Amino acid sequence: MKVGHTDVLVIGGGLAGLRCAIGARRRGLEVRILSLVPAKRSHSVAAQGGMQASLGNTVRGAGDNEDLHFEDTVRGSDWGCDQLVARMFTHMAPKAVRELAAWGVPWNRVERGSAEAIINGQRVILTERDEAHGLITARDFGGTRKWRTCYTSDGTGHTMLYALGDRAVAESIPVDERCEAIALIHDGGRCQGAVVRDLVSGELSAWLASATVIATGGYGRIYGVSTNAIINEGIGAAIALETGVARLGNMEAVQFHPTAIVPAGILVTEGCRGDGGVLRDVDGHRFMPDYEPEKAELASRDVVSRRMAEHMRRGKGVKGDGPEHLWLDITGLGAAHIDRKLREVRDICHHFLGIDPAREWIPVRPTQHYSMGGIRTDHRGESPTLRGLFACGEAACWDLHGFNRLGGNSVAETVVAGMLVGEYVADHVRDEGSAIRLSPALARAFIAREQAALEAILARPAEEDAHAIRRAMEATMTEQVGLFRDEAGLATAVETLTGLLARAGRIGTRNKRRDANPELVLAWRLPKMLKLALVAAEGALARRESRGAHCREDYPARNDRDWLKRTLVSWQADGPHFEYEPIEVEAMELPPGFRGYGTRNIIEHPGTAARLGDTEAQRAALAGAGRDAVQAALLPFEALLPERYRGRNARLGEVGQ
Amino acid sequence: MSRTLSISIFRHNPRDPASAPRMETHELAEAPGMTLFIALNRLRESVAPDLSFDFVCRAGVCGSCAMVINGRPGLACRTLTAALPERISLHPLPGFALIADLSVDTGTWMRELAERLETWVHLAAEPDLDLLEAPLSPGLAEEIHELDRCIECGCCIAACGTAQMRPGFVGAVGLNKIARFRLDPADSRDDADHYELIGNDQGIFGCMSLMGCEDLCPKELPLQAQLAWLRRGMARQGLRGIFDKKDKK
Amino acid sequence: MPAPATHALPRVSHWPAMLDLAQSLSGLLLALFMWFHMCFVSAILLSEDAAWIVARFFEGYFVFGRALPWLVSVFVALISSLLAVHALLALRKFPADWAQYRAIAAHSDRTRHGDTLLWLVQVATGFAMFFLAPVHLYTMMTRPELIGPFESADRVWSGFYWPLYLILLFMVEIHGGVGLYRLALKWGWLPARNTRDGRRRLALAKWALTAFFLILGLASLGAYMKLGHSHAPLAGEPYVPSWLRAEPAR
Repeated sequence: MKVGHTDVLVIGGGLAGLRCAIGARRRGLEVRILSLVPAKRSHSVAAQGGMQASLGNTVRGAGDNEDLHFEDTVRGSDWGCDQLVARMFTHMAPKAVRELAAWGVPWNRVERGSAEAIINGQRVILTERDEAHGLITARDFGGTRKWRTCYTSDGTGHTMLYALGDRAVAESIPVDERCEAIALIHDGGRCQGAVVRDLVSGELSAWLASATVIATGGYGRIYGVSTNAIINEGIGAAIALETGVARLGNMEAVQFHPTAIVPAGILVTEGCRGDGGVLRDVDGHRFMPDYEPEKAELASRDVVSRRMAEHMRRGKGVKGDGPEHLWLDITGLGAAHIDRKLREVRDICHHFLGIDPAREWIPVRPTQHYSMGGIRTDHRGESPTLRGLFACGEAACWDLHGFNRLGGNSVAETVVAGMLVGEYVADHVRDEGSAIRLSPALARAFIAREQAALEAILARPAEEDAHAIRRAMEATMTEQVGLFRDEAGLATAVETLTGLLARAGRIGTRNKRRDANPELVLAWRLPKMLKLALVAAEGALARRESRGAHCREDYPARNDRDWLKRTLVSWQADGPHFEYEPIEVEAMELPPGFRGYGTRNIIEHPGTAARLGDTEAQRAALAGAGRDAVQAALLPFEALLPERYRGRNARLGEVGQ
Repeated sequence: MSRTLSISIFRHNPRDPASAPRMETHELAEAPGMTLFIALNRLRESVAPDLSFDFVCRAGVCGSCAMVINGRPGLACRTLTAALPERISLHPLPGFALIADLSVDTGTWMRELAERLETWVHLAAEPDLDLLEAPLSPGLAEEIHELDRCIECGCCIAACGTAQMRPGFVGAVGLNKIARFRLDPADSRDDADHYELIGNDQGIFGCMSLMGCEDLCPKELPLQAQLAWLRRGMARQGLRGIFDKKDKK
Repeated sequence: MPAPATHALPRVSHWPAMLDLAQSLSGLLLALFMWFHMCFVSAILLSEDAAWIVARFFEGYFVFGRALPWLVSVFVALISSLLAVHALLALRKFPADWAQYRAIAAHSDRTRHGDTLLWLVQVATGFAMFFLAPVHLYTMMTRPELIGPFESADRVWSGFYWPLYLILLFMVEIHGGVGLYRLALKWGWLPARNTRDGRRRLALAKWALTAFFLILGLASLGAYMKLGHSHAPLAGEPYVPSWLRAEPAR
């Protein structure tokens, strides 16, 4: 049994994992990345529209800053996020974009002078400032007050992932491709690394590490139709859950993206609407302004998705061979704009739909897209209950997004969290490294345990069909733990999933190969996916309110009084155990309020009014002191940042101030 | 509609001494909008549970699923069966180590390429992240992005007669990357550095302009134009080297 | 301690660039030469006198007042050297062993890719010319005076060179046409900004030129064969242009 040692083991080679590994490596640590696929094939590559950072270079972004980005993010989260984390994030996002620019991401740039744009269905002329020429530009995205989403056409995730993937090569960071972490090695209090299965040879080995970072992305593939890559099965979160020590947070918080093509479920970016595209119904009517007169198509994702579903329920959907859908119309943008700024969208439409989006409407419907939930961590990215286990990116519940993530904040989070967690991991190894005793004997025991489990799968007869169980799970999640939820459906879902989990223990394989065996991989992964599905469904059943993407039709109000708290779950011998962690109103810089969509339906938290008064009093007392001073008084965060990242972000017009 | 497809798939597990390369043919009822991604998964779920293939994004952006489809390399995930005849043959991408069946190891190959050609921005100095970013002309940013769109799928290597004959050849994927960094003002390398990397028969002078890369790149990268641009630049650099040497004497 | 004497070793070789340029340049010159050559040969289609004038022109007849066939020998020697250089450089690109040959053949077979197939055609035609061209060049170099309407016609027909010339004609025109097309792609001289349009136009021009020179070549060869056939009884008799012939006896 091979047992290796490294300072830092990063599981996952997407944007978050790569950036975290680079940070730790630059601090002089030995770092190793495990990845299911070559790092540049990670799902980060599929991010299209862009990355939010309050640079304020473009004329429609002028005046933007961390404060606005922070407020948009908190509102977007329906006050479910950790505001401290949101502050750290919005401070870091401009640095992340600028670092990536230096590392070769060819961000689209501001072009001086006048050009035509489409805003809310109207043609307008925008005139860019001379001094902004050549700086990083931005497009409009949903739920934001400024044009803040930096982009490279609609291949933003790709250019970012390649820049970081190549940077990791430059830093000589080894990436073990086609390797899967199948269990975390831990002693009940500290994570010591992971058992690794080589997906080609089938051999098991272990890496012992002073710090283990999970950056494996989301768990969208527990749903039948998802924009996620097919590797996004949530196994990183599942092995953390299976420790029984680490906790997952807000697993019921699942985002549905308004515009995935039908039937393939492939994403077309929010940038389509940001750049002026509109949604139309079966009659060709642009319906979003009827529901959300102010933001229309550029309301928050959860809102647009629900409005679309609502509109289809009213019989306004397009019914054809496949699933019912609506239309995304970007014909008004013109072929030239689509060729330059939306070429992936053009290619996807061409290859999967056989249409030209410059001339024809795109069939779309809301589709599972993002997992706000994940491994619960503190602001440093470490699990509060299992030391030495870190998580970042979509795999984590760092809790930047609460119950709804803003478009463009996910790729931004991956890189920002990677930058920060890389530093915190390095601090952790520096401060505790010598005291950490890694046990090869423990590692061997874990390998033996996992080997036995795999052998058991190969040994048993194929009583249950993995594909049938998987399809049943997917259908349950889509139908009962989807966009709209209620008590009856969720209760049924929990029952169904519990039954499926029991059956999954009887899945066998028809072929008994140990190497490169897709049957064995599925038989091994499926129970883990079912555990995630089950905790998401149970969490949703328990949460009797509607918040962000979690929409309970039987409890339509956002209930701050009883539910301004984060769901935490751990997996014990008898199944999932739920706990709740309050989101402290007393510590909020932006106390709970109305997001501005639909009608106000909030059950207030008793502390909200007091905190609102308190923050207003502090703002009044500090009037004239500048926004930084006000902010520092309301929610100090600077001291928590790594020293190298504490500097103030320069902006046009603020330079030299 | 309602064709029955006859799909012949290359099967071989190089780690199994008992395995011999063979073609295995399965019949499958075609469905509307069926891609090879869907077709192969259906076969795996029904008649070929141990069939190996690689799909990740299934949207044509990650480059995992390149394979030889009826003789030509392409991305399987976005290939509609409707665009193919009833008889379909699938082979693994040539030029890469076989993992099993249709799965090949492009990752190791690409990593070695990245190390060999140093395909990252060579910074003159670490950037100060608190300051405004360095301006870049909007047109140039788009030109760089145009080349940055390569997804390392390996189709250009499978499409290139030169790469098939001479495994050390860096191919269009490697040369395009050098072109991309040569264009990028953030990269501090000059043509003397580029010449060191690709001024040889494994690099730009090995290219015989067979145009397989240009014709079969799934991302339609402007490879012919880039290779010609590099060849002119590297030829100039080669000549410059000779004259410089004379000047020094 | 004195520093040891050192001298910097070159970091890289400049030869790959030079060889690549030389291959392209030699190919370009040879292809252009062959076009001119074909034009001159086709003088026979105008008249026998025209062919005689062209032949004597290259022997310096109209400069020095008499034919100096060794001038042609020298020129042929130059062309032969250029051909040798080009062949040597091109050989680097040939499949070097059986495995390479199998790889490219299987690849071409699999992909059915036009430009790859054209390259294999170029390899085949180039290979054929290794053997065919020297026969012609040797004759031209050693017996330059035997270029003329009757002299050439006798060589073609009575000397039984026509099968060689027929094959060589196809080899040269196809190889040269494809070579020039590839040269334009290789160095980026496309007649359009867009590669696709540029290549289409280039390919069109290539086929048109190849067809033109093949027709011209076949016509010229036919003319020489016809002349050679009719002149066979007098084979070996040199041609005298019409204005130098003695008035025929009445």
